[in-house]
Amino acid sequence: MVALARKTLIQEWRRFLPAILAVGFAGLLQLLQAALVLGIFGSASVYITGSAADLWAGYPGTQSVNLGRPIGEDVAMRLRMDPDVTKVEPFRWVDADWRGPRDTGGVSVFVSGIDPRPDGMMFSRALPPALRAKLNEPGAVIVDKADLDSLGVSIGDTAAINGQRVRVVGVSSGLRALGGVNIVSSLDTARVLDIDPEDAGMMTYFVAKLRDPSKAKAIAKRLSGSDAFGPYTVWTAKEFARQSQLYWMLDTGAGAGVLFLAGIVFLVGAVITSQTLIAAVIGSIREYATLNALGVGRGALRKVIMEQAFWVGALGLICSIVIGIVMLIIARSRSVPMELHPLTAGVCLALSMALAIVSGLAAMRSLRRADPASLLR
Amino acid sequence: MSMSAAPQTSSTTTLQAHGVRKSFVSGRVQSTVLHDLTLDVHASELTLISGPSGCGKSTLLAILSGLQPADAGGVRALGHELSGLGMRELEHFRLQHTGFVFQGFNLFPALTALEQVELPLSYMGLAKGLARKRAIESLEEVGLGPRMRLRPAELSGGEKQRVAIARALAKQPELLFADEPTSALDSANGQIVIDILHRIARTHGTTVLCVSHDPRLVGHADRMLTMEDGRILSDHAPPASLSTAYGAKEPSA
Repeated sequence: MVALARKTLIQEWRRFLPAILAVGFAGLLQLLQAALVLGIFGSASVYITGSAADLWAGYPGTQSVNLGRPIGEDVAMRLRMDPDVTKVEPFRWVDADWRGPRDTGGVSVFVSGIDPRPDGMMFSRALPPALRAKLNEPGAVIVDKADLDSLGVSIGDTAAINGQRVRVVGVSSGLRALGGVNIVSSLDTARVLDIDPEDAGMMTYFVAKLRDPSKAKAIAKRLSGSDAFGPYTVWTAKEFARQSQLYWMLDTGAGAGVLFLAGIVFLVGAVITSQTLIAAVIGSIREYATLNALGVGRGALRKVIMEQAFWVGALGLICSIVIGIVMLIIARSRSVPMELHPLTAGVCLALSMALAIVSGLAAMRSLRRADPASLLR
Repeated sequence: MSMSAAPQTSSTTTLQAHGVRKSFVSGRVQSTVLHDLTLDVHASELTLISGPSGCGKSTLLAILSGLQPADAGGVRALGHELSGLGMRELEHFRLQHTGFVFQGFNLFPALTALEQVELPLSYMGLAKGLARKRAIESLEEVGLGPRMRLRPAELSGGEKQRVAIARALAKQPELLFADEPTSALDSANGQIVIDILHRIARTHGTTVLCVSHDPRLVGHADRMLTMEDGRILSDHAPPASLSTAYGAKEPSA
């Protein structure tokens, strides 16, 4: 079989370039948008995804991890009583006000009080053991290195949180927060910084490790059953992380914005691609009509058009993948929160291919003009 | 003057039109292009239809070749009644039995001469090797053997038309239709093209039906039909003197 579609694409690449670029940029925009949204809203749950805990216990109805309310120590007892729970650890969340040594004004910060032991679950993925150990010093805090400027400090500087003296003992990465700055301290330091009398003797969450993490769902359900130890709910880590991300996405309206933008990108891409493909079909309409006169069926001609659309889509996708990877690497190196899972990337790329296919279907319609009788004059 | 006997009664009739009528409607005016036209065309002959533009000769060609249906009457080609066939069946008939040469060469810019000729063959279901062999033979027959790796942009007008003829010829059609095949060409190239068409009729036994108002073709036709206002005015073998004057290889009949 003579590869008419591919040979035409190569010979007349200038004609097809706009379509390839349209698919490529549509794919790239979808990819980057998805990566940014997932990255930014993923940081809403960095407390959960950066930790090794399987279960989270918190105030009933908590919609997002940053909205936790104090719960009693008794909940920890209840968790420890369960035979499947191997370890329980408290987590104290403090909304606080930061005053740096430099002239930065007040900065709203979220203090995460964690167990600084080397086998602690909280932030086990974000903080190496050596860094955790530094938190044992009273008043010691760790911040994300990308936040140093907005906090107006360097490592070793002292500052004040809620009027209490703290010292930055180290920096980490992957601790950036939404709507404020994350500060990590030990549980003891956090207790000192928490000036709300309501919180005295209370924790915000208890996290637990399970013997068999695959049973997390059933155990969370079982533990949420009673109110005997005061009001609390138990979520699996996955569930709570998802809930927090969704809260931010929907609460800020960003989710709707993203979908809207994705729709626009798809539409604009489809218009450019289909117009280009239609122009290519019209440009060769007499040749197609001649083939039809020679007995090559309409179905076979349609296949040529669809094959062209497929190659345009494939080339566009290669463009978006290559540029996308470069952009992700650049973003990573500048601490821009971007995250892309294979599944999300696959969906974005499939959307772009769908765009090319839809455009091919639109272009196929213009084949109707390939009437061999019109070639006779 | 209407339906005189064909000059060569010995050859077989491959194409028959019987009472073919066709009209077009433009706005409120209905104009009849073909008036109950009856015609027999024979194998191994180059039949030329000429007449002023608008006389209906191209419409006749479209109907005889199965590109367009007639309003009334019947067309019988190679024993098949074309009038009742649907679009797919007509496509299949054209794929198996017909070749076309148009005034414009209609070659794909991206394909070499060889690929242009191979393309319809691959749709006929021919094996790759056979398709290639036939394509090369056809290109050699029209004298383009040395230039078959070139694309249309590298070929002259005459060469392009010869590629188009090879494309039709490689299908080994029983019926070959040509619409003004020489009018875009200079005299030398026009001469070559008409010689090739004539030779195809003679050596392959093909029914070649050519529509043209090019007077240079007259001497090369085995049979000449003159049309005006949707009717055939005359039907005769062109004078032998003209044939020899234009250098035909052998006198007809």
